[in-house]
This record gives sequence, C-alpha cells and structure tokens, in this order.
Amino acid sequence: MVIQALQKVFQKPLYVILALVISTAVFVFAVWFPNISLIVKIMGHPGISFSEKLDLPISLLGSIVTNFTLLSAMYTIAIAILFGVNFSMIIYFLHRRIVDVKQNGITMGFFGIASGVIGMGCAACGSFLLTSILSLFGATWILSFLPLTGGEFGILGVILLTISFYVIAKQIQNPAVCSS
Amino acid sequence: MEHHTNTHETKAAKVQMPVQQNNLSIPVAIVIAGMFIAGAVYFSSNKNTAIPTVVGNNPVVNQQPPKVDIGSLDQMAIISGSDHIRGNPNAPIKIVEYSDTECPFCKRFHDTMKEVMDEYGKNGKVAWVYRHFPLIQLHSKATKEAEATECANELGGPDGFWAYIDRLFEITPSNNGLDLNELPKIAQYIGLDVNKFTTCLASGKYIKHIEEDTQNATATGGNGTPWSIVVAKNGKKYPLSGAQPYASVRQLIELALQEK
Repeated sequence: MVIQALQKVFQKPLYVILALVISTAVFVFAVWFPNISLIVKIMGHPGISFSEKLDLPISLLGSIVTNFTLLSAMYTIAIAILFGVNFSMIIYFLHRRIVDVKQNGITMGFFGIASGVIGMGCAACGSFLLTSILSLFGATWILSFLPLTGGEFGILGVILLTISFYVIAKQIQNPAVCSS
Repeated sequence: MEHHTNTHETKAAKVQMPVQQNNLSIPVAIVIAGMFIAGAVYFSSNKNTAIPTVVGNNPVVNQQPPKVDIGSLDQMAIISGSDHIRGNPNAPIKIVEYSDTECPFCKRFHDTMKEVMDEYGKNGKVAWVYRHFPLIQLHSKATKEAEATECANELGGPDGFWAYIDRLFEITPSNNGLDLNELPKIAQYIGLDVNKFTTCLASGKYIKHIEEDTQNATATGGNGTPWSIVVAKNGKKYPLSGAQPYASVRQLIELALQEK
C-alpha cells in the first residue's frame, strides 16, 4: 500500500524534485543551524568575493561528520528525507483536492518536524534548542536524566514523521469517498 | 429515488465529520512547528539563555546569566597574559576556544586545532587561546579536570598546561568517562611534581577563574561546546560553533587574514 502510494505520487517528476528540494533544505538547515550567525556575517561582508562566500557554507556541510554523533547524523538525515517525502505527498493531496480525509497524518508530520528541530544539534555538548528551552525554566538538569541527553527528541521526530508518512500514504491509496 | 438520495447524503455527512473536527489541527500544528523553528533560530543566533556554570564547591547549580548584553562577541574578555596561548601571542589571527574536557566534540576539535597550529602556528599567523567552558549539567567531572589543567599551568607553565590538556583529551573517553584518579597520573606522565599537583587540585583555588571563563563564554553567545571566536588583526570577530571540519576552520582563517 505504501509503495503503491509512493508510485502514485512520485511518478510525476515535479513531486520528486519537490521532495528533493525540501529534503535538502531541511538537511542544510540542520547542519548550518549552529552557525547561522556566522553564515549571515560572511554573506553580508562587502570585502569577500562571492565564491569565497560560498566556500565556507559548503565546507560547513562537512560538520555532519565532525559535529554529529552517528545517531544524531542518522536521525537528522532521516528527518530531512521523511519531511521532504511527507511534504510532497501533502502537496499531492491538496492538489488532488482529497480534502475529505483524516488530517491526522499531516498534523503528525508537523509535530514530527517540531520534535526533530528540538532535538537537532550537539546533544552531548548542549548546543541544541532543548538546552535553551529548558534553561528558561531552570530545568537543564533534566538532560542528565535522559539516556541520550536530548537525542530522544530527534528519534521522536523520526517516529512521528514515519507515522505521518504512513497515514498520508494510506489516505492517498484509500481516500475517504462516498461508497454506494 | 428520494430515499436513495437521502442515504447518500447521510453517508457523505459521515465522511465529512472528521474534517470539521480536525479543521484546526493543521493550522495549530503549523503554528507550533513554526514557533519551534523560529525559536531554534532565535536561540541559536544570539540570545543565549543556557548558562552551565560552576559555583564554588557546590554541586550542580544552574545560575541565571549575568545581566549583560548576552550574545555579543564584543563581550569577549580581552586576551591577556593570564590566558593560555599556544603559538605566537602577537599572531594576526587569534582563535579563542571555549572548551569542555569531557565533551566528545571538544576532543575532536582539539585535534583539528592542533592541525591548524601545524599549518598556521609555525609561521606565526595563528595563536590558539584556550578558555574553560565546562557544561556541568552534562559533564560533572569537567570542572575538576579544568582545575587540573590550571594546576598543570601553575607547576609547569604554558608548556605544562598544553602538555597536560593534550594528554587529557587523548585519554578521556569523553561524556564523563574519565576516572578522576587519572588526573595525578597525567601530571606524573608529563613530569610534574605529583604531590604539589594533588595539593593544588584539592585547594579549589582555580574554580573562580573557571567560572569567569564560563560566564564569558556565555556572554559572547556560546551555548554549547566547543565554542570558538576567530579574531582578525583589525579586531573583527567571527563566531564558530561546534566541532567544524578542518576545511571550514581553514577557510575562516583565510577570510580573517584578509582583514586589514
């Protein structure tokens, strides 16, 4: 059923391109995330040539190897791919005007992304959003009780996006229609 | 015929029900997801609120940050003789690194910085300034290890400091994995007087210094380790968060070298 739904959506190149673009954007955002202020500073620097401006952000993509654990790299890539695929399927959905369906899958997808964003970053070193959120409540000590020190949110993001993907695929394949 | 139509309408109405029930779920989910993403950008850019810090000999305490312009690179403490500097102190480029000895990414970045010094340190273009930023909520042993490096500095001078921290990063498995009984052994390994070292370590006299480094890291926008600031000859500062690849550090140095 899932494969059939994927075939139905991605037989059109437009949806493949859309999924690739969105997945890439999410991945790049995740990897650049800790250094957004540096990238902004470099991009706005008048004394640096355009090619040099591009070199640094491109090289920063290599931090998926140096600044991520194997686990966090895996769920970051998984979130990016799942988000791109989910997004394409949602657009397919809306385009076909299949509106009389359960919207739980779409909702789940957005919660998945939200959860993934919370878990992004260097969990072991505190440079991720969860640290900042918890510190607002003086509760960063909670991290020390989490076995993956916050990486759990990235995994939760993958799970929610997978559920979303499944629900949307199911609805594409078996849309709720009036039966005789 | 009429009956058939009614039946159809009834079924259609049943299908439409979930749409009415969930018609707010997508907008709400989008708003929440958007808030998280916006928050992520906001917090990661310059509004740091996380302040892992050390307070005397007390157990883990989470303090509020000092009331300063948080997140500004201009808050960086001036590089002085009390800093740990590797390479030419008058180098045109200075990389100030705020680090935690139990952070696995700091361990990785330590090797990257050694590579940087191999290429740029020998000809005096880059100096490496090391400051402490122990994330005590995650690594309770990091403060004691930072104290140990200060004791190594006291007993062995700058060479003692760098030899000690190189060895510490070499043997620690990270994530609080180092047995603190190893600290005197490292001192012995690099040729320091172990008795004096142990006395120094027990005194806790460098805790305030480590706390100051930590607060300065936070004030400059550091919310995780390793947190580095590349300072060009003209004083312009570039932030670098995390254990970035050597290629990125190299490109940032080349850009900073262009500053007049």
